[in-house]
Amino acid sequence: MKVSSINGLVLRTAALALLMLAAATGVSAQASSAQLSINLTVQSSISLVFNDNPNVGSVGFCPLTNPGTNNVGLDLGSASFPGNFHSSTCVDYAHVGASFYEVSSAFDVLVTKSNSSSPSYRLAAEISSAPPANVLWLVNNVTLSSTGFTTLDTTDAFGRPVTKTLRLQVRNNVPAQILQETITFLATAN
Amino acid sequence: MKKHSVQIRIMLAAAALFFGLPLLAQNPTATGVINARLTHKNGIALVFDTDPSGVTLGAAGTSAATLNFGTISAFGPLAPGVTRTSVTAANYTVRTVFDVQVIQGGLNSNTYTLSAQLASALPTGFSFKIDGVTLANGASNIQTNAAYNVDVPHNLDLTVSTAAPGAGGPAVGTPLSTVINFQASAN
Repeated sequence: MKVSSINGLVLRTAALALLMLAAATGVSAQASSAQLSINLTVQSSISLVFNDNPNVGSVGFCPLTNPGTNNVGLDLGSASFPGNFHSSTCVDYAHVGASFYEVSSAFDVLVTKSNSSSPSYRLAAEISSAPPANVLWLVNNVTLSSTGFTTLDTTDAFGRPVTKTLRLQVRNNVPAQILQETITFLATAN
Repeated sequence: MKKHSVQIRIMLAAAALFFGLPLLAQNPTATGVINARLTHKNGIALVFDTDPSGVTLGAAGTSAATLNFGTISAFGPLAPGVTRTSVTAANYTVRTVFDVQVIQGGLNSNTYTLSAQLASALPTGFSFKIDGVTLANGASNIQTNAAYNVDVPHNLDLTVSTAAPGAGGPAVGTPLSTVINFQASAN
């Protein structure tokens, strides 16, 4: 009886030791691995901003409001046909033919690309609403329309400012009024 | 369970292909807007131009021109562009021609009325007429239905008394000047 009691103690001690050993080794055995799969798609993109031309402030180069963005303002002041009247010192004013006057101002368009192998872009513009009769909005020598985009350039280089001149021609029989347009420029990668 | 997962993956891949390819096929675009504004005003302007048969104006093409008759006399030579239209015992008249051009914009007007007046009293012994209308210190109508945008010639007549200086005649040998103000009014 005494011998069996001793044997029982030995057995319990051995079992406890095994359990402790098992527990100790179990810490590393329960380490789990995980994997996070990342999925994404990179897409080509381009951006367009308007900047003041380096000659801003001189005749023909009026400052933009909010330059460096894609939503700018351009105030051409006041003007009339008789007497070559124009209030702005930065617009370029001229009579065109016998019955039109023109005010114009130049600015820069900067289109940049990202993740694109496109070598160039197309530039087009559109005015927001049909102008009054005998009023013409032009960019450089291209007359703009409110019915669709009109191509200005076909192969402009990314990352290089392109100087454009907004021209507004008004015939001398146009009644006094405020002439305004929102001109949307569209750059499309080639 | 594994078969179900494979089916979901296949469906997702198909959806990605279906919706993704058209996007990849499009060229990227960018837009920007310029909000441009001009206050267009109406107005009317008058300028003086040199007439081919008259004296050459100073500052021609402006609204502040000068006209020099040069040296005038009843019988002596006259400057180019100046003619003598009459000589009487009481006076003589010299004439030149100048052009007026009136430009309008934004007005509902097809013609204008031109008037003129002396800016100040004339020197003794002088009187001016434009197209036969004697000028005074108040406005006188010169033309009532003049056309815009064309040079309209006007005769400027200067009548000079032949009386001696101090007896109603003009000063002699001294430059004399006067100013005539013009006004064009849209009809």
